[in-house]
Amino acid sequence: MSGAASRVLVTGATTGAGAALVDALLADPGTERVVAVSFDSSCRHLPWDVRLTCASVDLSRPRAVTELLAGPARRLGVTAVVHAPLRRSLSDGGPATRALTVGVTRALLDACDGHPTIQRLVYVGTAAVYGDEPSTPRRRDERCPLAFGAQPGWRRDRVEADLAVCCRMGSSSTTLVVLRQAELLAPGCGSPLWDYLQAPVCLRPLGFDPMLELLSLADATAATRRALAADAGGVFNVGGADVLPLSRLLRLAGRRALPLPGPALGPLYRARARMRHGEFRYDLYAARLHVGALLDGARARRLLGYAPAHPLRWPPW
Amino acid sequence: MRDFLDAGHGYDEFGLAAAAVDRAARLGAPLYERYFRVDSRGAERLPADGPALLIANHGGTLPVDAAVLWLDVLRRTGRVLRLVADRFVPRLPWVGVALARCGVVPGTLQDLDRLLARGALVAIFPEGVTGTGKRFADRYHLQAWRLGHAELARRHRAPVVPVAIVGAEEAWPVAVRLPLHVFGAPYLPVPATPLPLPVRLRLRYGAALALHALPPGPDLDDEPAALEAAARRTRAALQQLLEDTLAERRAAHHPAGRARRGAAR
Repeated sequence: MSGAASRVLVTGATTGAGAALVDALLADPGTERVVAVSFDSSCRHLPWDVRLTCASVDLSRPRAVTELLAGPARRLGVTAVVHAPLRRSLSDGGPATRALTVGVTRALLDACDGHPTIQRLVYVGTAAVYGDEPSTPRRRDERCPLAFGAQPGWRRDRVEADLAVCCRMGSSSTTLVVLRQAELLAPGCGSPLWDYLQAPVCLRPLGFDPMLELLSLADATAATRRALAADAGGVFNVGGADVLPLSRLLRLAGRRALPLPGPALGPLYRARARMRHGEFRYDLYAARLHVGALLDGARARRLLGYAPAHPLRWPPW
Repeated sequence: MRDFLDAGHGYDEFGLAAAAVDRAARLGAPLYERYFRVDSRGAERLPADGPALLIANHGGTLPVDAAVLWLDVLRRTGRVLRLVADRFVPRLPWVGVALARCGVVPGTLQDLDRLLARGALVAIFPEGVTGTGKRFADRYHLQAWRLGHAELARRHRAPVVPVAIVGAEEAWPVAVRLPLHVFGAPYLPVPATPLPLPVRLRLRYGAALALHALPPGPDLDDEPAALEAAARRTRAALQQLLEDTLAERRAAHHPAGRARRGAAR
């Protein structure tokens, strides 16, 4: 691993994706230091390693971000930051979630710019930021328009955070990388599809069977590590190894599908969430259940050397 | 199945499935052989492999011409033709899924670039909705002619094969076009007959055009004149092919023609 990526600070280190990344970094003998940042003290559940430093920081406070990077990160000589604004629970919404998604991202950008040791910031985003217009191609490359018209909520927060990083490219002293991941089907990663598949009976729009692209945790981790090791900056699509229609996904996941007219799904899922405290929100995922979306990963393949290589195991739980 | 690139679960990235193609071919066989009695000539002009663009005339309430062209190419070459549909088509319930399983793709430039880069056989109807919306009196007269096929052909150095489809523009004419934009469609067509009429369909494949061999411009994006010239050439070739096929049909129905056939029997 190159020098720029041997001392890494990882936010959200106790989420599914964050913990997998920390494990992978520690498994590499070339890694000199990993600073695992989590909201609470659950960081102590990570496997012990002399190179691992745990930090319990409430990143929703901008001052905490500045103190973290100016203090422990500088002292430990952190050279790269991986920031993934993932929440364990997708149903969290409102100003608190927006502060964690958009506010923390902006605070990290400010704190990394001009930092004496940090050379690289990898923002792990989602391909859900792309728009769903009829003119959008099936395979979306990095030039596709973002969903600027998204309703306030999870998706719009992601668009704003992604845009915040993109707008700093070229003017920041830190090399900025945005990874737009395909649907990461893993627990504790804030995946709407994961929440959708938790119910034994999954409602789906009548008359539609979209093609979906799924990313495994192994591939997500590999892509992030490639982004840390590469020299190139910019935006990269991170595609997955599984491309399949929704109907096949439900069969592989061992779920029963109940097709219903699309307008009925929103109220039904809201009622289900109230009764059984389910996580899935249909209003945030409606477009994906009607019209599928795949990613063009040619740029990541060319500049990062990343290609999906780890299909999901079925069922994924 | 040729031209099928499995994305890992038995479907290609656009939703094409081999089982669906087989099923559609079996269901379409009686329509092809007995209802429309398709008379196809010139399919040997299609390349056995590699990219190529088919351009054809378009008309009628629903794309009977596209369906018959798809069946014909499959039966004669074994290749799955990737028909290009308007962008609202994939968003139609049931119809969008069924067409995707048979290889129909939305008409976005990036998607077509991908297909041609992989050596696919792609069919475009450059008239677009102006073709299906034309008046019955304007049948077989090519309407507004888009340039996208010329750009793709030059970029991918793909031969362009004009295909004249005679019969489909009369089989199911439109009586009224209602200004209702259901699922994003430009209008809601009301057919003159409840079902397509059993008009005999003639498919004629013309000589392939090498648009990439036309004089190059300094940059593809800066050569609109070259693209327009290429598109005019394809339009002229297809219009001539249509006129020849219509003349052939008239001759076949002429009393002198019937007498000659009777003598031959």
